[in-house]
Amino acid sequence: MAQEVNLNSLKDLEREVILQVLYRDQAVQNVEEERIRKLKTHLQHLRWKGAKSTNQDYREKSCARCQRALGLLLNRGAVCRGCSYRVCAQCRVFLRKTHAWKCTVCFEDRNVKIKSGQWFFEERAKKFPTEGKHRTAGAKLLQSYQKPSKISVVPPTPPPHSENQCGSQTGLQELGQFKGFNKSVENLFLSVTTHMKKLSKSQNDMTSDKHHLATGHRQSKGRSERRSQSDTAINVTTRKVSSPDILKSLNQEDSKHSPDPVSKQQDSSSNPAARPLFSGELRHGSLISINSTCTEMGNFDNANVTGEIEFAIRYCFKTHSLEICIKACKNLAYGEEKKKKCNPYIKIYLLPDRSSQGKRKTRVQKNTTDPIFQETLKLNISADTSIFLQAPVNQWQTNNWAQGNFKNQVVLLNFYDYRRGILSNIKLYDLLKAETCEDSVPHNNGELALRAKLVLPSGPRKLPEAQEGTDDQPPLNGQLCLVVLGAKNLPVRSDGTLNSFVKGCLTLPNQQKLRLKSPVLKKQACPQWKHSFVFSGVTTSQLRQSSLELTVWDQAIFGMNDRLLGGARLGSKEEPASGTDSCSPSKLQWQKVLSNPNLWTDMTLVLH
Amino acid sequence: RLASAPYPQMASATDSRYGQKESSDQNFDYMFKILIIGNSSVGKTSFLFRYADDSFTPAFVSTVGIDFKVKTIYRNDKRIKLQIWDTAGQERYRTITTAYYRGAMGFILMYDITNEESFNAVQDWSTQIKTYSWDNAQVLLVGNKCDMEDERVVSSERGRQLADHLGFEFFEASAKDNINVKQTFERLVDVICEKMSESLDTADPAVTGAKQGPQLTDQQAPPHQDCAC
Repeated sequence: MAQEVNLNSLKDLEREVILQVLYRDQAVQNVEEERIRKLKTHLQHLRWKGAKSTNQDYREKSCARCQRALGLLLNRGAVCRGCSYRVCAQCRVFLRKTHAWKCTVCFEDRNVKIKSGQWFFEERAKKFPTEGKHRTAGAKLLQSYQKPSKISVVPPTPPPHSENQCGSQTGLQELGQFKGFNKSVENLFLSVTTHMKKLSKSQNDMTSDKHHLATGHRQSKGRSERRSQSDTAINVTTRKVSSPDILKSLNQEDSKHSPDPVSKQQDSSSNPAARPLFSGELRHGSLISINSTCTEMGNFDNANVTGEIEFAIRYCFKTHSLEICIKACKNLAYGEEKKKKCNPYIKIYLLPDRSSQGKRKTRVQKNTTDPIFQETLKLNISADTSIFLQAPVNQWQTNNWAQGNFKNQVVLLNFYDYRRGILSNIKLYDLLKAETCEDSVPHNNGELALRAKLVLPSGPRKLPEAQEGTDDQPPLNGQLCLVVLGAKNLPVRSDGTLNSFVKGCLTLPNQQKLRLKSPVLKKQACPQWKHSFVFSGVTTSQLRQSSLELTVWDQAIFGMNDRLLGGARLGSKEEPASGTDSCSPSKLQWQKVLSNPNLWTDMTLVLH
Repeated sequence: RLASAPYPQMASATDSRYGQKESSDQNFDYMFKILIIGNSSVGKTSFLFRYADDSFTPAFVSTVGIDFKVKTIYRNDKRIKLQIWDTAGQERYRTITTAYYRGAMGFILMYDITNEESFNAVQDWSTQIKTYSWDNAQVLLVGNKCDMEDERVVSSERGRQLADHLGFEFFEASAKDNINVKQTFERLVDVICEKMSESLDTADPAVTGAKQGPQLTDQQAPPHQDCAC
């Protein structure tokens, strides 16, 4: 009885299936708990209503429920067998078909016991006294399962860009989701890269799982479709559970999981079934998903990766869906080099996400290295809860069913502004090998050139446009001066231009934030703002514990949300993502700024 | 009755359209959790799908671990939400499935009337219930696939005798032909309700609702469970 129940003994795919059931159960339980909570609140109110202050002599003289006075001869009241209080005739409820009665509270209590299932828990407690009352087997299983994912969440720093708001009622929430987005992306990706190797060990059992799955498939198409949908998610999680070292290292990065609304699609099993099935019932944490990505990536460590993919992307406001039109691939590497086999299909995810709604994939094209898909995959994303997203399009190859090998992690669309609702041109992207791809993630949003100087009191006086935060600071404090020179290689709009501006946010150790913003430079792909930011009233020691975030934005038209092109962070909370070594160029430069007051330091930041 | 084609090994209605409602509907008076157990391929999943969705698929897919469906019924003037757990019959999932015994108020213990082995295993399943479930667990013994009269190897009489012996109520049913499916569940709900009233009205000193804790009340012997284990 005391045995620990968990899912560890199961195969990945089984675990996946079961996990899905557990999540559904969890939803049911949540509703049930809410209902029971309401019942109990109601009962509590009833109790309070009858409650008497302690200094009253309530024993004999008044009804314990309605507090009406009881007489000596008439209307004497009677003692409730449940609570032993004396109650008047009006406060009794007769049980069905009997002469037994209870006072209103005892009756309601009984009702609650019935309705909440309390009676059952009490009965059960006779046999299993230690059993927690409401925790279901499913809850326990889930908990044992989810432990690892706890780490995945915590954006270390507040959002650099709170100004940007859409006045909707979800604004707050949105803001929250926005927080730390960059960061979490980086972290997540970092974790992926770091742990890929470890994960790849599990390749073998995965293959066998595929086999298993395949068998099921032949037997019943319908069923296996449903199952296969979740196959991977399980892989994912499983791996996580089984590799404690991952946890450790994840802990080290103070990675925070931004509650990003965008769900990531993740489905993986190589499902040859004609069409992918989207139930949207999966609820996996994004880290899980990411890990899934990385697990799978582990499988093609040694594989060649070649080829290109053509696709287009747009956001459809009518259906609230992100549509990714996948045209074709060229020159793919063989999944199995020796046998010259290649049965490719494409899978897309949104990263990072929390409320995973799944992922999408195309049909499998058989025996070709130049597959033509011509499929449009749709991801449902609510326009007002998500601000931007990353959509790596993964291309996988399956050799054959029983032995599905994956290859070729692919293209990452960073911060794509899907809100514009324009179908982007079909573009050709090179397929990258997974690792390369990971590496490239933080690097593909352009570079920002700036000069920075710490002005201490002995130095030059204030620059003209000190804007905020100065007043209450003692005069000893200095200023941090920045000149944002310009940026290049930004992810431009489809017409090749941008209406860009820069936001700067200095977060002081007390979490106070100083925010500044540059003017908008219109229609330039490589804007040169040459704008200066001055953060006044800061000391060197404060700065050493502060972080500075610079984000580049594309101003939106027609009141839509500005698009984040990329950002970089300097200072104490600097991301490990910019390199696990603590000596990344930007960090060194930042230290240089701090340790050389009153001298300008030039630096180029890579935007993530 | 229709002459049935050879009964498929086991049915598993498999569709992915689990009702969205299942989790959101709060409009019920109480919730019972029911577990269906029995050997692999006796028709547990089919039985559940017949009841919950009124669907039947002859294809056999063995259940992975556990699954459930939710159905709200109206019974004795109450809306009762049933969360019916379907378990894998296969031994390898036993640790998971038994974890669910403890949360179940009632059980449907199923065998296949065309499969002697599944019938012989009933005793073991009953023992499992005794071990892992609460003392007043309500159990219905169901001989499924009673549409396959031609291939019957377990007579109704044997089923009934065993049920009597174990203190369970007994039904023969067919998920395929929709025989006794609804009746089985409704009977189970009724006996759970009876047990509930009994539990509340006899051992009632705790009714003050002040605190609940392990009760010192007399533990009633379950009226019809005289399993010889």
